[in-house]
Amino acid sequence: MNLETFKYDNRIVRAFAIATIIWGIVGMSAGLLAAVQLFWPEANLNLQFVSFGRLRPLHTNAVIFAFVGNGMFMGIYYSLQRLCKARMFNDKLSWINFWGWNAIIVAAAVTLPLGLTTSKEYAELEWPIDIAIAIVWVVFTVNLMGTILRRREKHMYVAIWFFIATALTVAMLHIVNSLAVPASAFKSYPIYAGVQDALVQWWYGHNAVAFFLTTPYLGLMYYFLPKAAGRPVFSYRLSIIHFWALIFIYIWAGPHHLLFTALPDWAQSLGMVFSIMLIAPSWGGMLNGLLTLRGAWDKVREEPMLKFMVVALTAYGMATLEGPLLSIKSVNSLSHYTDWTVAHVHTGALGWNGFLTFSMLYWLFPRLYNTPLWSKKLANWHFWISLTGMMFYVIPMYWSGITQGLMWKQFTPEGFLKYANFLETVIQLIPMFVLRAVGGLLYILGTFLMAYNLWKTAKSGVFVPEVEAQAAPRNSGHDLHAEQDPWKHRWLEAKPITLTVLSLVAVAIGGLVEIVPMYLIKENVPTLSSVKPYTPLEVLGRDIYIREGCVGCHSQMIRPFRSETERYGEYSKAGEFVYDHPFLWGSKRTGPDLHRVGAKYPDAWHYNHMDDPRLTSPGSIMPRYSWLLEQKMDKKSLPARIAALRKVGVPYPAGYENSEALKDLEKQAETIVTNLKVGSVEAQPDKEIIAMIAYLQRLGTDIKAQAVAAPVNTSN
Amino acid sequence: MNNDSKQPILLEHEADGIKELDNLLPRWWVWLFYICVAYAVAYMLYYHVFNMGDLQAAAYAKEQKIGEEIKAASIAKFEANIANLEPSKEQAVLAQGTQIYTVYCAPCHRPDGGGIVGPNLTDDFWIHGSNYVDSVKIIINGVPDKGMLTWRGVLKPDEITSVASYIYTLRGTKPPNPKPPENLQTGPAKPSEFE
Repeated sequence: MNLETFKYDNRIVRAFAIATIIWGIVGMSAGLLAAVQLFWPEANLNLQFVSFGRLRPLHTNAVIFAFVGNGMFMGIYYSLQRLCKARMFNDKLSWINFWGWNAIIVAAAVTLPLGLTTSKEYAELEWPIDIAIAIVWVVFTVNLMGTILRRREKHMYVAIWFFIATALTVAMLHIVNSLAVPASAFKSYPIYAGVQDALVQWWYGHNAVAFFLTTPYLGLMYYFLPKAAGRPVFSYRLSIIHFWALIFIYIWAGPHHLLFTALPDWAQSLGMVFSIMLIAPSWGGMLNGLLTLRGAWDKVREEPMLKFMVVALTAYGMATLEGPLLSIKSVNSLSHYTDWTVAHVHTGALGWNGFLTFSMLYWLFPRLYNTPLWSKKLANWHFWISLTGMMFYVIPMYWSGITQGLMWKQFTPEGFLKYANFLETVIQLIPMFVLRAVGGLLYILGTFLMAYNLWKTAKSGVFVPEVEAQAAPRNSGHDLHAEQDPWKHRWLEAKPITLTVLSLVAVAIGGLVEIVPMYLIKENVPTLSSVKPYTPLEVLGRDIYIREGCVGCHSQMIRPFRSETERYGEYSKAGEFVYDHPFLWGSKRTGPDLHRVGAKYPDAWHYNHMDDPRLTSPGSIMPRYSWLLEQKMDKKSLPARIAALRKVGVPYPAGYENSEALKDLEKQAETIVTNLKVGSVEAQPDKEIIAMIAYLQRLGTDIKAQAVAAPVNTSN
Repeated sequence: MNNDSKQPILLEHEADGIKELDNLLPRWWVWLFYICVAYAVAYMLYYHVFNMGDLQAAAYAKEQKIGEEIKAASIAKFEANIANLEPSKEQAVLAQGTQIYTVYCAPCHRPDGGGIVGPNLTDDFWIHGSNYVDSVKIIINGVPDKGMLTWRGVLKPDEITSVASYIYTLRGTKPPNPKPPENLQTGPAKPSEFE
């Protein structure tokens, strides 16, 4: 047999590994600072750039796209070459992938603190960066598929199926969810509004978890676990079934982020039942991992890398059971908007993604540097400290979430809300917030130990930039199991293009079935004639609300429960959001819902409250927004904003932005200044706070002008 | 493929040294999957094909009806007895009143009662009647024309009486820069019995 000699590229793997460690520390530290601000608001030093609303997206983006993203590329670039018996398709593409991706992260780290954000969760980056992401992702996909097409192994191992599904689906999600019309270099409005925007966003958001945090990492688990354990994978047929079931079902589950909202009932129900159906396919991955360790548990005791892997898989199993349970409507009615969700996602992030990344790093460094790990003992310390940190994180968050959820719903025997003042339910949680920060600190401490250990490992070895390997060219051998291939899956594993197309079909169906009817069938968003577009001043105010990340802590979606309508007012209707580009329903209530805050307080109250929330609401943990009182609003950009909004479908009259808009803005600003005077507040009409007050006072008020309430849809 | 889980077939293919067994799917796992799928189908049929269950708007309407009945009864009981109410001087009641005032009243009447949008509560020129029962009524009914909200159904009965008691103590406190009197034309109202 004639063997070909080739070289695996370790340089690119090392680059991604170093980036993973650095961004991990950055992302976790941002999270820690955010956590501290929740019990000590002054920890933002009254700097707008690190106030909670801007810091939170920085934390989530850094952890997901920088830490896990680089970790994913690290693992794929290492394992793919070896599974394909081929060097990466093109070294230049590899490095464009590396530098491009990390440049995007730097751009995120600069723009998010500046308040340049779309406000759509996990898709906060503005349009120029979105385009860069799409390009870099295509580069990665070409490199991935090119390597697969040039492979020397006839069959693609299960890990590669997961990599293919990841590449395709992330591209699809990112492009569809990011469609927007720019108003300036760093400001755009999504083409979707209200209910549709919410659905597209959570189709994206949920599947970012599925196809960025889950499928690539499952693929990596399928490589690194059996390699480290030296055991065969438990069940090939389980791999097949859980792979296809997982990617097909996952995509439908997005609406479970929108239960009890203004999303039509049928879409909510689909989101719920597909989440339930996800339990078994998700557990298929965990089982295939844990059962692979049968007969190798003694190694788990010896090898820190395997300990991390076992915890990662266990956390994965817990999170993927909990997720479907949280998707059951009655459970969700308690858990949603609370810290329960925060606990849930951190089981996934700290446990599954974090520990699996650590596991890979501990495996890779000794191999990249051709030397044993510097200290197993230190790695064990890392394991126990980070595991303790994780417990200190998630347990208080469960406690906090359930406490607050129950307090929100508690009625007195007289039929009144027991805790009518939202703040009472927040103050109750502060000890839990402190414990959570301790947990986060421990987890980061563990990460530092790892960084030190890996640094020492690198120092004590010599980097191996390339590894020579030999393999026969593809197709030289015959397939031994063709006769054992009832589902033709072995056949499919030799056909990357067919497998890619079938995967694409599997992941496209769910989105099409849910999203398309939301556009075509008018009944899904019943119109309310009294709902009008925002005034120019309100547009500027809304964009400040977006810039400051208010949506990170305040929902604008009152659910149809008595406990919510008693607290906030009439529940939110789909027709109220038709001009909301983007929707700002939110997913967490660290502060109260704001959908009906309009006309609830005098203008002066808002002014004082923004200047220092603790003046008007003692004990509040909201940051100060005193810079809104100083900074001038950006009137110059108004025409471009109005024009862009018209392009996405808001019916401003033609030419409105040329002169009328500014006049209307100034008139409304003067009214607010007059109102403020009544409340003994002297303010100039060109400050940002005026626009913010205008927006807040408008919220949820249009429906009150509706003479007859919209008919309630009681069937389906 | 006939194999059993005790002796799974070790597939002959391997990838970078990784071998694969071909164990049967765990039975409980298969059943778990079936049950979840059956549940999903049943759920969709129940709610969206045969329309047997309440969707969220209908469920809300029912919940709201029950809750409103309970609340209306307790409010009616309280309001039937308003004429006999006396301001409380108990520390605990006034402390509760202070808290409620800070959250709900201070936004319009200022934390010290000096008045912003809402009138000054510390002078003797009360607009809508000056005895304790009058202020309880104002809190309950509001003055919609002038922007005073109705707190009926928002504040519990004991909260209304305690905050009214607290407001009663504000009279004559003379905070700095108060809102000027708004009821001069009808002459000063009766001074507080606390003075």
